[in-house]
Amino acid sequence: MIRVAGKEHPWRRGMTVADLLRESGDPQDYPVVRINDQYVSRPNFAETAIPDNAEVFLIPMIAGG
Amino acid sequence: MTGFELKLEKTFPYQRPSIDRGYANQTLHLNLSNLDIAARPVTPQMKDLFIGGKGFDLWLLWNAVKPTTRWNDPENAVCIACGPLGGTPAYPGSGKSIAATISPLTGAVIDSNVGGYFGPYLKFSGFDALEIQGKSDSDLVVYVDGIDQTVQVFAATGLPDDAYGLSEALTEHFAQGKPRNISVVSAGPGAKNTFFGCLNFSWYDPKRKRARYKQAGRGGVGTVFVDKGLKALVARWDSGISVDTNSPADRERLKTVAKLHSREIVELDPKQNEMATIGTTHIVTIMNDHDLLPTHNFRFGQHREAPNLGQAVFRRLFDPGYDGCWMGCTVACSHGVRDFTPLSGPYRGRKVFVDGPEYETVAGCGSLLGIFDPHTVIELNFYCDAYGLDTISVGTATAFAMECFELGLLDTRHTGGLELYFGNRAAALEIVHQMARGEGFGRIVGQGVRRMKAVFAKEFGADPKIMADIGMESKGLEFSEYMTKESLAQQGGYGLALKGPQHDEAWLIFLDMVHNFMPTFEQKAEALHWFPMFRTWFSLCGLCKLPWNDIIPEDNKSTPEPAKVMKHVAWYAEYFSSVTGRESGPEDLIRMSEAVYNFQRVFNLRMGFGRREHDALPYRALGPVTELEYESRAERYDKQLTDTCKLDIAGKSTAEKVALLRKFREQQYETLKDAVYQRRGWSPDGIPTLATVKRLGIDFPEVVALLKTNGVTA
Repeated sequence: MIRVAGKEHPWRRGMTVADLLRESGDPQDYPVVRINDQYVSRPNFAETAIPDNAEVFLIPMIAGG
Repeated sequence: MTGFELKLEKTFPYQRPSIDRGYANQTLHLNLSNLDIAARPVTPQMKDLFIGGKGFDLWLLWNAVKPTTRWNDPENAVCIACGPLGGTPAYPGSGKSIAATISPLTGAVIDSNVGGYFGPYLKFSGFDALEIQGKSDSDLVVYVDGIDQTVQVFAATGLPDDAYGLSEALTEHFAQGKPRNISVVSAGPGAKNTFFGCLNFSWYDPKRKRARYKQAGRGGVGTVFVDKGLKALVARWDSGISVDTNSPADRERLKTVAKLHSREIVELDPKQNEMATIGTTHIVTIMNDHDLLPTHNFRFGQHREAPNLGQAVFRRLFDPGYDGCWMGCTVACSHGVRDFTPLSGPYRGRKVFVDGPEYETVAGCGSLLGIFDPHTVIELNFYCDAYGLDTISVGTATAFAMECFELGLLDTRHTGGLELYFGNRAAALEIVHQMARGEGFGRIVGQGVRRMKAVFAKEFGADPKIMADIGMESKGLEFSEYMTKESLAQQGGYGLALKGPQHDEAWLIFLDMVHNFMPTFEQKAEALHWFPMFRTWFSLCGLCKLPWNDIIPEDNKSTPEPAKVMKHVAWYAEYFSSVTGRESGPEDLIRMSEAVYNFQRVFNLRMGFGRREHDALPYRALGPVTELEYESRAERYDKQLTDTCKLDIAGKSTAEKVALLRKFREQQYETLKDAVYQRRGWSPDGIPTLATVKRLGIDFPEVVALLKTNGVTA
């Protein structure tokens, strides 16, 4: 089990960030997520696996500058 | 601590006015040539049109200088103002000072928004703004004591030169046992010997028991400060500040909206960008992943070693604890490194506390120089602050010199023996030390990119054409640290910015390139109208922009315009209304900024700038200059030539493709200018029309005459 934006979400071995966002049904096109304290950007979503028991934060990234 | 002497030269007693709805309703004027000191009233027109902060600075400066005034003329003024909302401890990000002057780099107005306690302490001491003109032959310290209601000017001898030592000494000297009551503004030896000197604004950190620093970095305001003979400004005020200190029109209404924003940040920042833990360093790797982190003088946007400068590293290096540069701010992003030991320079081998680095310094003094060692970045950060140097201009200017060296435009005969390759950490540090000493090749680099191009061409025979393409300055100001090649909107965000390529007007790079929120010219133009206007508003009021959109509401994504974070904009309108009693909605905030923004554009025109030609960018900001750059992202560029430009590129050489792409992209930028000028109500030459200045209420006779002189008749 992992937590995504504060809610529990089932985990499976090999699950990537891209998989998670596809399954979550969230329409927002997130450019960045944070897995525990590691930031992962969209170009790396498909190759970044999420470990079990991770806390995933969805970063809207309007910010900057 | 070495001994120093402060000899009293002038005392100006005054009656401190009560703060009324965010205003002291008077400004303080000093002339350092004759030590004249005066308090002057703030007029209703100033408040109505210019609001405060940067608006007041501009108005004071407009009345102080002539079209012929140069940065080092006595009549040039250093203006520092807070704003009507500044000094509110309950609302996040409400302690900013805005410094403005005629820049030694650009010849036009430069403004810088900075944290620390000086601006609020100045206002609570009785002055919405401070204007300093004249020049002194000896070093002066100006002391504004709001508690004892006196302004004093001291001739100073024996004070430390560097900002760290100087602020520490003066904080201790004036504190009367309460160091948190003191804020010091100072520059340093680098500010004296370069054109991009910064100002350090201090705030006292009671937990760490030391003065901390934020910098008014851009455009050489520190250089003007030192040229005037100013050693330091000191403000003293009772640090026991509450929401009542600013005397808001509606205290309960203010407390309600302040609590909403403050609590939201406390709840959401840990889930979003973690500003309170890692500050702006969170975006280093994100920019790198999106090919937007400038490396090697903006040649590329990505490097495999960039994670060495990322948040994971600074998460470990930053000293944990509260780091708000104003009281009660819950963003609290002013982090620092404790017990750092420099390997070079006058502090070599001594433990120091380094304030920073932030993203701009990490990129400018790191990746841009091909340096991916965090400790070197921290050391460059430390010495830039201590010497009073802008880390952005230091980085961008040094990177330009490094690329010239690598291209063979310079060699060791010109650099005094420095092997100025990208990645040479010792050389980068030595350049900064030379800037502070006013010696060697560092003295040339310290003149900035625009002057370096002229020196290299004239004295070293370097090719002006390639330097025009790779010298990353516009209007004379060095670029801040974002890659713009693939974001036309951000090219406009830099090229059309009033002061030069600084991102505080319009940071559209993610909205444009990553979110694709503005695919058409019209949408880009609209963004290049709305965002600069709203961002300007923060500097009118004495605010930091970070609470607006670095932490955003969880339901923001379902709002009609998520990029604007309108829930927060509405809170800011409520904040302004509750403090000033001037009932305002979101559109009113834009209208306030529009008047000041257009006035600044007219001010540029008055100083000989402010036309279309001055909004030009070096080609590297638009696209690949060299074949190396093109080939590194050939797929992307080939696709644009074939899909967008509908060109047949089969059989074409890289050089031919570079030329074709350049023609297309330069035309795109000119088309963008047309769209933005039209949206802003400017002529095709980039000058506000008579109808625009009239609509905004800035149609003063001098403004109208100036526009007519420049061919604007409608």
